Amino acid sequence: MTLTLYHYLIVAALLFCMGMYGIITSKNAVRVLMSMELALAGVSINFVAFSNYITPAALTGQIFTIFIMTVSAAEAGVGLAIIFNVYKNFKTVDMDKIDLMKW
Amino acid sequence: MESFGRIGFMLFLAFIVPTIALVLSRFLQPRFVTASKIQTYECGIKPYGSAWVQFNIRYYIYALIFVVFDIETVFLYPWAVAFKGLGLFAVIEMFLFLTILLVGFAYAWKKGALDWH
Amino acid sequence: MAANTIFFMIFSLVAIISGFVMITRRHPLSAALSLVVTFISLAGLYGLLAAKLLFIIQILVYAGAIMTLVIFSIMLLNVQEEDLPAEERIIERVSITTLILLPMIYIIGRSFTVIKDGQFPEVSQDFGTIHSVGMFLFTTYSFPFEVISILLLISLLGVVVLAKRRI
Repeated sequence: MTLTLYHYLIVAALLFCMGMYGIITSKNAVRVLMSMELALAGVSINFVAFSNYITPAALTGQIFTIFIMTVSAAEAGVGLAIIFNVYKNFKTVDMDKIDLMKW
Repeated sequence: MESFGRIGFMLFLAFIVPTIALVLSRFLQPRFVTASKIQTYECGIKPYGSAWVQFNIRYYIYALIFVVFDIETVFLYPWAVAFKGLGLFAVIEMFLFLTILLVGFAYAWKKGALDWH
Repeated sequence: MAANTIFFMIFSLVAIISGFVMITRRHPLSAALSLVVTFISLAGLYGLLAAKLLFIIQILVYAGAIMTLVIFSIMLLNVQEEDLPAEERIIERVSITTLILLPMIYIIGRSFTVIKDGQFPEVSQDFGTIHSVGMFLFTTYSFPFEVISILLLISLLGVVVLAKRRI
């Protein structure tokens, strides 16, 4: 059995789906953020695999992955700071209880 | 693939050394369990309170500045390796990049986010 | 079976299992630690795909920096076991997630028929090395590179503004 693109696609899809599940079902805001990281990691695997598959001469997919990592670092930083402020005001990280903007 | 061999070897060492240390000490150690021996070690004093202490939020800004400059290192690394083939343009690029990040650092400094009172 | 395949199986299994542990653990700290394991094994997958720079970055940035930030903030929030939001009605939530993910699963299924030959083409020796990524990043993608610095600047400013208000 040799490694094909399909194997990587399956792993990436599984990771992405688990990340999506975490985003949808978690009530803890920090865990939602972590699930987002998991989904992003699945997408990154896709990018790198397709970088090998489509453009073996250029490195477009890998550059994309570097940018994804940077963006997710920025996102985690600001997201966690927002969660701190929410926790300060509401004394909870439960996403269901943070409903001031909900009508 | 070959270049990962060394990393794999290091990984193997990193697994095997603590395993040997733990397994060996398990067989060699004399065991006399008393109540004061199994309590959590805390600098020699009697432990009090929970292990879950709440950190000060001030640490968070330090952590974030660490992350930002960690990412800067990530970009500096390929830049330094490919420096010879890139020429003057890359120097200007990196200079701009560093300047923009230093603006953020200066802002944090000026705002007193790095002060410890 | 080639060594590549064995390594792929190990890394992907570890990644998927620890990802599953991450979404099922109730306490955020154990979730975060299993997420670290996922990221390290993903670094192994990047290594198998000849992405040598990404291998380093994945460990350095994801497993090193971002997860430090996350674990750090879990300690900062210091949510006790009893304060954790209750996670009930598992079946309902799983089914809703499946419903939302159905189009996604359909697209994945389609990709297997659209992509006829999944065989990877032979890559050159310097594919994905730090040097080649550097050459590519600082010539073709010089503009996105500068934009990234602005993004990092904004996140730094945002955190300073958000965290300064606390006292």
